Amino acid sequence: MKSLKVTIVESSVIVCSGLEVQLKKLPGFRIQLTEISDTEYLGESLRLHKPDILIINPVAAAGATPQQFKQESGNPDMKCVALLSGLTNKAILRFYDGKIGIYDTLDEIRLKLEKLCAVEINETEDSEEQQTLSVREKEIVVCVVKGMTNREIADRLYLSTHTVITHRRNIARKLQIHSASGLTVYAIVNKLVELSDIGKS
Amino acid sequence: MHKKTIYKETDKMADLISNNYSMLLVMSRFGISPGYEDKSIGEVCRQNEVDVCTFLTVVNFLHKDEDKPVKDVNSCLSLEHLIVYLHNAHDYFLKFRLPHLRRKLTDVLKDDCPPDVAFVITKFYDEYAEEVNKHMMYEEKTVFPYVQELLKGKKNPKYNISIFHRRHDQIELKITELKNLLLKYYPGKGSNLFNSVLFDIFTTEKDLTTHNQIENNLFTPAILEQEKLL
Repeated sequence: MKSLKVTIVESSVIVCSGLEVQLKKLPGFRIQLTEISDTEYLGESLRLHKPDILIINPVAAAGATPQQFKQESGNPDMKCVALLSGLTNKAILRFYDGKIGIYDTLDEIRLKLEKLCAVEINETEDSEEQQTLSVREKEIVVCVVKGMTNREIADRLYLSTHTVITHRRNIARKLQIHSASGLTVYAIVNKLVELSDIGKS
Repeated sequence: MHKKTIYKETDKMADLISNNYSMLLVMSRFGISPGYEDKSIGEVCRQNEVDVCTFLTVVNFLHKDEDKPVKDVNSCLSLEHLIVYLHNAHDYFLKFRLPHLRRKLTDVLKDDCPPDVAFVITKFYDEYAEEVNKHMMYEEKTVFPYVQELLKGKKNPKYNISIFHRRHDQIELKITELKNLLLKYYPGKGSNLFNSVLFDIFTTEKDLTTHNQIENNLFTPAILEQEKLL
């Protein structure tokens, strides 16, 4: 079961909820969805939810490129998929990581998502050597060091507890530190927190 | 020098230790004083009132350095003597090794580290030492008395050694973490004393690992046999 956070940007409610229903049926994926109809709040939502995949109607994108979305979300690894409901200029589409048409079957969508995720997995394997933490992982370290539970961290950072646990597992693997008191040493040495922040514990 | 695989009663005690200096710890845990002259293992053991079979079983187990349970524990092994050995090992860790390491560590940190870093490293260490203390006290207060009763022929219906085996955690994991923390993130300049602390941590880590192996792979199987007898 692979967990994916997906944001859908589509101005048609019918298309949007149709896609939502189909995505939830996908075998082998646990998908957490966010829908947006108004692109005005897109940037904010991307920063907040940090989706793995952004499915966006290029018409709704109104000239903004996938590159810009990735920048806005602060996550260069986010995949941008074009949602096609009609004819679209090919020149625009080549910047997207994939495309889903409204006539795609469930199987086709599944294969496309699997392909996108496979790329993602390979990339993490390549960077196995690197041990530096991502911005999000550092945020989580700070929360752990302050003595917050997974539930509290999830609420604070607008994540699912499942995602928090995955992050914590990655942090432990990268740093080879498994205990909260070990993370405290890491956080103090790297100046992620002040001693006074954790004084209570 | 020729490396032996199995030691016998007739081998020289001094050779055993020259070949593998970590056996020095075994000596003090069995209560054997140094000054072995040219005496054999058997002679030294008898002189110090140590059960030769138990001594050789432990020595050969450590010497083989394999992490798997001993099958068919030699019936001449004395659980009383093995408990004395384990108890002295606990004393060594709790009353000597860990406090000594803490003193050295705080000495290093005091001169070489920002105070906040020194504080959290010391805190980490203290939590660790407390974990080891709890771990070993459980054995002292629950496991050893159980075995002593067992040897008298009384079986506690509410306890058996598999309970111990299940909850026996790997106490060396956290010192491995301390080692990683100091190696990767230590912000000070480092010094001879810092290196010495690291050497101590390396040996303590190894020592705790083998201590746990004796409990899991020698002590536990021996008690299982004893439980079957009743």
